[in-house]
Amino acid sequence: MKSVVTTVITSADAAGRFPSSSDLESVQGSIQRAAARLEAAEKLANNLDNVAKEAYAACIKKYPYLNDSGEANSTDTFKAKCERDIKHYMRLIQYCLVVGGTGPLDEWGIAGGREVYRALNLPTAPYVEALSFARSRGCAPRDMSVQALVEYNALLDYTINSLS
Amino acid sequence: MLDAFSRAVVSADASTSVVSDIAALRGFVAEGNKRLDAVNAIASNASCIVSDAVAGMICENQGLIQAGGNCYPNRRMAACLRDGEIVLRYITYALLAGDASVLDDRCLNGLKETYAALGVPATSTGRAVQIMKASSLAHINDTNTEAQAGKRFKQMGSAKGDCSALTAEAGSYFDRVISALS
Repeated sequence: MKSVVTTVITSADAAGRFPSSSDLESVQGSIQRAAARLEAAEKLANNLDNVAKEAYAACIKKYPYLNDSGEANSTDTFKAKCERDIKHYMRLIQYCLVVGGTGPLDEWGIAGGREVYRALNLPTAPYVEALSFARSRGCAPRDMSVQALVEYNALLDYTINSLS
Repeated sequence: MLDAFSRAVVSADASTSVVSDIAALRGFVAEGNKRLDAVNAIASNASCIVSDAVAGMICENQGLIQAGGNCYPNRRMAACLRDGEIVLRYITYALLAGDASVLDDRCLNGLKETYAALGVPATSTGRAVQIMKASSLAHINDTNTEAQAGKRFKQMGSAKGDCSALTAEAGSYFDRVISALS
C-alpha cells in the first residue's frame, strides 16, 4: 500500500541501505501533516452516512432521468446500490486520509473502475456530480479545521478527476 | 508492504467499515519523533551492533571458527556478517513502518528453509539476533555503558523520556526473527 513510509522503505531496500537521515526527514514531514489528515478522517467517519446521502440526493436531483424505468436509479434495489457506491467512495477517501496517500483509492476504487462501469452500463457523470456536491458542501470551521478540509477536498478532487 | 496506517485501513476494509480507532494512530503520530530517533539509533550503530553480535556468538562457541565451523574460513564469516546486517536492516524498516509486514515478506519468508538447506546452525543464528536485540535496545534507550563498550563507547545523546512502548515494539521484531528461525 503506497504511503510515504512504504515509499521510503522501498527505495532504501532497493539500494540495500539503512534508513538515512533524509529518509527519516521524509517520514517526519508526513507525520507533521498527519494531524490534519486524521482529524478529517475522524470527522468524515462520524458523519459518513449523511455525507453520502446528501451527495447521492444531489446527483439524482441533477440527473432525474435516472429515476426513469430501466435506468440506474429506477428500483429500490438500484437506489440502495447507488447510495452504497457513493458511500464506498467516501470510505476509500477516509482510508486515504488515514494512510496519507492515494493508495486505497488507486487500488480499490480506481483500478478497473472504468471497465466495471462500462460493463454494467453505468454513467460516470452522476458520480462526478455527487462527489462535486460533497466537494462544495464541506465547510471550515463548521465541519473541520481549514487544513483538514484541504486534505479532504484534495482527495475528492482526485476521485473526481479519475472519473472524468 | 504495510505501515501502521495502512494496516488499520486493511483491517477496516476486511469488514467494509471506516477506520474508527483514530486515537491509536494519533498516538503513533505523537510518538513519531521517538520512533525516528530509535531508527536512527540502530542505523547509526548498525555495523557495531552486527559485528559485536557475531563476535559474541563466536566467543560463546569457538567451534564456529575452527575448520569445518560455519564461520570458517573468512568467506563464510563475511557471509555471516552480511546476513546479520540484512536482518538488522529489515528490523529498522519494520520499526520505521510500525508494522512487521516488510520484515515478514522480504526477509523472514523462506529464510528458515534457506538456512536449513545451507546448513546454517539455527541456534547460533538465534543467539546472534539475541545479542543484536540487547545492544539495539540499549542504543535506543541510551543505556549502553563505557564498561560494556570500552573504547568504542558512544551514545546518541537524545533527550531522555518514556520509550517503553517503543522498546517493547522493537524487541518484538527481534523476537519475531528468532521465532521464525527456530
